Amino acid sequence: MSAPVVETHRLAKTYGLSPVLREVELRLMPGAGAYVIGGNGAGKSTLLRILAGLEAPSDGYALVFGQDTRKVAARYRRRIGVMAHQSFLYPNLTARENLEFYGELYSLPDPRASAELWLERVGLAEVADSRERTFSRGMEQRLSAARAMLPEPALLLLDEPFASLDHDGVEIIASLIRSAIERGAAVIATAHAIPEIEGVDFAAYEISHGRMQPHLHKEEVRRGGRIRSLLGR
Amino acid sequence: MNSAIRNGLGYVTLALMIVALFMVFDYVPPEAEQGIAQLIFYFHVPLAWVAFASFGIVAIAGIFYLWLGDKLWDDLGYAAAETGMVFCTLMIVAGSIWAKPIWGTWWTWDSRLTTTFILWLMYGGYLMLRASADDTPQVARFGAVIGVVAALDVPIVIASVRLWRTIHPAVLVTKQGGHGLEDPRMVATLLVCLAAFTVLWAWLLMLRFTQLRTRSRMSALAVRIAFADAALSDSK
Amino acid sequence: MLRKDLRLELRSGESTLALLALSMLVLVVLVFALDAGRVRSVDVAAGALWVAMVFAGMLGANRALLAERDNGAIRGLLLSPLDPGTLYAAKLAAALIFMAVAEVGAVILMVLFFNLEFDVSIARLAPILALGAIGFSALATLLSAITGRTRGGDMLLPILAVPIFVPALIAGVKASAAALAGVPLDSMGQWLKIMVAFDVLFVTAGYLLFEHVVGEN
Repeated sequence: MSAPVVETHRLAKTYGLSPVLREVELRLMPGAGAYVIGGNGAGKSTLLRILAGLEAPSDGYALVFGQDTRKVAARYRRRIGVMAHQSFLYPNLTARENLEFYGELYSLPDPRASAELWLERVGLAEVADSRERTFSRGMEQRLSAARAMLPEPALLLLDEPFASLDHDGVEIIASLIRSAIERGAAVIATAHAIPEIEGVDFAAYEISHGRMQPHLHKEEVRRGGRIRSLLGR
Repeated sequence: MNSAIRNGLGYVTLALMIVALFMVFDYVPPEAEQGIAQLIFYFHVPLAWVAFASFGIVAIAGIFYLWLGDKLWDDLGYAAAETGMVFCTLMIVAGSIWAKPIWGTWWTWDSRLTTTFILWLMYGGYLMLRASADDTPQVARFGAVIGVVAALDVPIVIASVRLWRTIHPAVLVTKQGGHGLEDPRMVATLLVCLAAFTVLWAWLLMLRFTQLRTRSRMSALAVRIAFADAALSDSK
Repeated sequence: MLRKDLRLELRSGESTLALLALSMLVLVVLVFALDAGRVRSVDVAAGALWVAMVFAGMLGANRALLAERDNGAIRGLLLSPLDPGTLYAAKLAAALIFMAVAEVGAVILMVLFFNLEFDVSIARLAPILALGAIGFSALATLLSAITGRTRGGDMLLPILAVPIFVPALIAGVKASAAALAGVPLDSMGQWLKIMVAFDVLFVTAGYLLFEHVVGEN
């Protein structure tokens, strides 16, 4: 029985006086995935930030690879890939340079080759030598995904990975997520509503009022989901 | 912090200050060379000691805060910075009042005044930083780092300024004073003033620290109430 | 990391040049403010040089960290296995290079504007300026990580940095003036010792404390 990649216990977070997360319990095994959905400001991004170690919980704790997220050792950080609303990319470097830089940052054996490979995978090979500054939002998102997955991390934390993507973009990211699961990574992806990805069977959770609960059957969501998000819950 | 101790400190301060003032203005003989103005010395030295001590506390509290993360240390550091700033300002004013009759000018770049001024600027920087930002753990950490960095700098500042200038009267060889004071009455007065100001400082520091501590505790409490409140409305 | 920073620096070409020019301009202002044409004084020249240097140093440290603000790149760095001490070293190096380039320019202008000679005394300046640049860059890199994130922002950097830098500034100006007056380096022992102490102290402090100022939680 392998160890969970992610584990939280009574995780809570407040900003000032507003409780954004309350008693969140989560457990994710390798090769498994989870969708976390919720409206704007529901706390999905906060949860990911805590799991990534960018923020500390106000109460409770979160473990990734058995390490407290507040103090993850360097060798474990190597195994975490994060996609956020910000791309973490340098506008004045080319796509290739950005990826090569991250390749070196994560001590990959051959950053050039890895960069080349991933540019192909996200369909940006043609614009590899253009500066990131010139990219559209969709292209930026794809490059950000490449950056996150470049070191083949064992845990992927993706904050709204499908936002701003056209159909092709969504397909690309979906297939990348599929391959990540296949090689045994754990994936958490947030979204406003359950993404419609084939071949991927994720557990679904919804965050509302700071509490995270296993989501209703996905079918119900597709029908009722739109209404929910309209109500902003 | 026990309010009895705090109040006690207050009374002791009052008593000591009265004695100190009496001693300075009535008891001690004026110094031959500098006349009445030299009396400032009895205030200047204790003020200096207290200002530097405060700075030390800011730094030590900073280190503890970075190490332990308990808000208590940040409150202590902030209180010490504010208190220190007050005394440092008084010190500069006192130094200036001394300078005028002795050197004929309101300000002069001698080693002690310069060092005081630098210290004052560092305090000012710390306070400006804290004032311009919210009271988050991040900002508290910033304050701690600044406190430590500035404190580490102080010995170098003193050494370099001393090298740069030396026209301070020979009465004060060290901050503790005592050398070059002929009359034992002067020594006694100095010691009493030292004690009086130290107690005054400690009292003010405790007052401010208690204030900040209370505020921090209330914030933490408010957060818990918010949590509980939300939990209640959930189960409705 | 340094390579990336340098590449970024060169790419954003124009603004780097503008900032360097700004530092030089400070010298020009001082020429007129101090009437440098009339008086041939090494003290004035040394002072003006250091004013320009400090100015350049503040701009340089700011820029090194600014590069990480676009697209939240700093978070990417924090999430990576990179340790904060190394990040500090890289930023320090970038700020140092910027300051060094500015210094070279400033020295040349100083000699020209303040009626000095290009001789061996200028060469003696080199180690003094190097020590000063290291110290100031170390301090400013650490501090600008703080000031970049608070509301007071860029204005706060000089307020915090200058008082702390004073000892090295005093030592640096005195040593520089002495060097320009022809004094050999071994006679300046006192001042140099102070600068070395300052540098060691602040590079170490910066390296150790950087993780506390650059994180987010």
